[in-house]
Amino acid sequence: MTKIAVQVDDLTVAYNYKPVLWDIDLEIPEGVLMAIVGPNGAGKSTLIKSILGILKPIAGSVTIYGKSYEKQRSLVAYVPQKGSVDWDFPTTALDVVMMGTYGSLGWIKRPRQKEKKAALEALEKVGMLPFKNRQISQLSGGQQQRIFLARALVQDASIYFMDEPFQGVDATTEIAIINILKELRKAGKTVIVVHHDLQTVPEYFDWVTFLNVKKIATGPVKDIFNDDNLTKTYGINYKVSIQE
Amino acid sequence: MSNAQIEIQLIASLVAIACAIPGTFLVLRKMAMISDAISHSILPGIVVGFFITQDLNSPLLILLAALTGVITVVLVEYIQKTGLVKEDTAIGLVFPVLFSIGVLMIAKKANDVHLDIDAVLVGELALAPFDRLIISGVDVGPKSLWIIGGILLVTIGLLIAFFKELKLSTFDKGLAASLGFSPAIIHYGLMSVSSVTTVGAFDAVGAILVVALMIAPAATAYLLTTDLKKMLLLSIVFGVFSAISGYWFAHWLDASIAGSITTMLGVLFLMVYLFAPSKGIIAVMYREKQQRTEVSLLTFLLHLKNHDEEAERHVNHLNEHINWQKVRSKTVLDLALKNNMIVINNAIVSLTSKGNEFTTQAIDYIITNEDAQIEDMKDDFFLFRG
Repeated sequence: MTKIAVQVDDLTVAYNYKPVLWDIDLEIPEGVLMAIVGPNGAGKSTLIKSILGILKPIAGSVTIYGKSYEKQRSLVAYVPQKGSVDWDFPTTALDVVMMGTYGSLGWIKRPRQKEKKAALEALEKVGMLPFKNRQISQLSGGQQQRIFLARALVQDASIYFMDEPFQGVDATTEIAIINILKELRKAGKTVIVVHHDLQTVPEYFDWVTFLNVKKIATGPVKDIFNDDNLTKTYGINYKVSIQE
Repeated sequence: MSNAQIEIQLIASLVAIACAIPGTFLVLRKMAMISDAISHSILPGIVVGFFITQDLNSPLLILLAALTGVITVVLVEYIQKTGLVKEDTAIGLVFPVLFSIGVLMIAKKANDVHLDIDAVLVGELALAPFDRLIISGVDVGPKSLWIIGGILLVTIGLLIAFFKELKLSTFDKGLAASLGFSPAIIHYGLMSVSSVTTVGAFDAVGAILVVALMIAPAATAYLLTTDLKKMLLLSIVFGVFSAISGYWFAHWLDASIAGSITTMLGVLFLMVYLFAPSKGIIAVMYREKQQRTEVSLLTFLLHLKNHDEEAERHVNHLNEHINWQKVRSKTVLDLALKNNMIVINNAIVSLTSKGNEFTTQAIDYIITNEDAQIEDMKDDFFLFRG
């Protein structure tokens, strides 16, 4: 039996007393590359943010390898939605990647040569080393997304949470990103991705969670990625049109 | 220069620095209006503090008034959180009410003391040197110099200690939270520093101008740099420059010092807005013109590349084929010739090997937006700078 990386019990999250996630139970086994799919407003981002302690749930609990998130922060890396930050902020690509090292540094301590080296290596991995001194507003959407990925890589975590990493990126970047994610899985890491493109789920992921305010289903893609669950999640009669 | 003159300039400069530091982060967090709210709503705090301490420079008064500033922020956020009104409306609702309470309190109770509405709005920097700090009989300088100096030291200390945290939570609140740097703590820390600074600067420059000193230097610096540390440094330089030049402007005009300082800030911003090397209006206009020419050049080169037949490449036929006006064709042709991109033999235009390679690379780059080789070309071509 594989270890459970993330366990969510009876999680309910509300905005202004209106629940957006109802009583979620979820076990994410170690070493999977998992997509979270569901319609707009299904609570996909909310689920990730609640697991990471960014949003406070009104009920339920989350554990990372059996302990609370606060105790396990160093095991977790997070890639927020690209649109959640101001890309006109006066800083460079390298500096943004360095921010990934801040968690291990803790309060007050400054990043030094060791952190810079790690950031440069991460930039190299995502093919962005030539752009290290570029002001971030001067990068294309795909390049910005790679910078965010590099910032997560530099954390050298066990579990990666990514909120729509393929949003607004070109095909080349999408392939580059998914290859890196697959490498992470090979290295035994757990990767959880909020994903929109149902067509690519079987090709990219080995695990999937259907979410629409409630959890519809979770498990291996080959077992549960079917018309029945898609229809339950999206509410319309859904036919998987991908046959290979 | 008399001692008093030096002291006034020193106080103004320290106020400018103390304002520029939190101001930079307020601008980057798109919270400029919050400083306006704080600067007005601390008034009731100052008045109540004054009733208790009878001393405008008492530390207790500063803390009481700063507390009112933080309460303002809390109130604004509370109203906003109900979802009934937007943030700017919430700000517009909260601070005038608190400010008016302060105004009424002054009118009813403080008429006979040195606290009047004019001073509240624009400060009284010229009077600052008269209120001395005497320690065991020795005159160590104006009280407001010591107060703003103390506030500035604390601000610089906090900035150095928490620079990393401030930067992270300003750029990406979500990541800050997930890494364990509570954005709320950093937010209220910044709000407290802004409030204390505002109170400290209030006496010198008043409620309206303190906003200018927080926002204008940072906004000016933002146009000039893409590096946060440089932005902070430039804000400070602009603040001090405006403080000193504003003082002498006022001296010359025989007018309000605070008003002159703010005028200087405005002039400085206007200058940078017009002439900044990359974000300035003139630079932007020049770049757009240049980009137009470069796009034309590339269109022209691509046309040559795509057509082997000589009829398409005849100098006299270019106009009709690319559908350009004469002047534009001439500019483009000259530019291409000057850069050795084309040769003209018997009035037939052909690409040189340099022109050919350039066209391939450039088109490839525009399509994929990815090519390390193009990095070198970026210095010469605006077109590739995005």
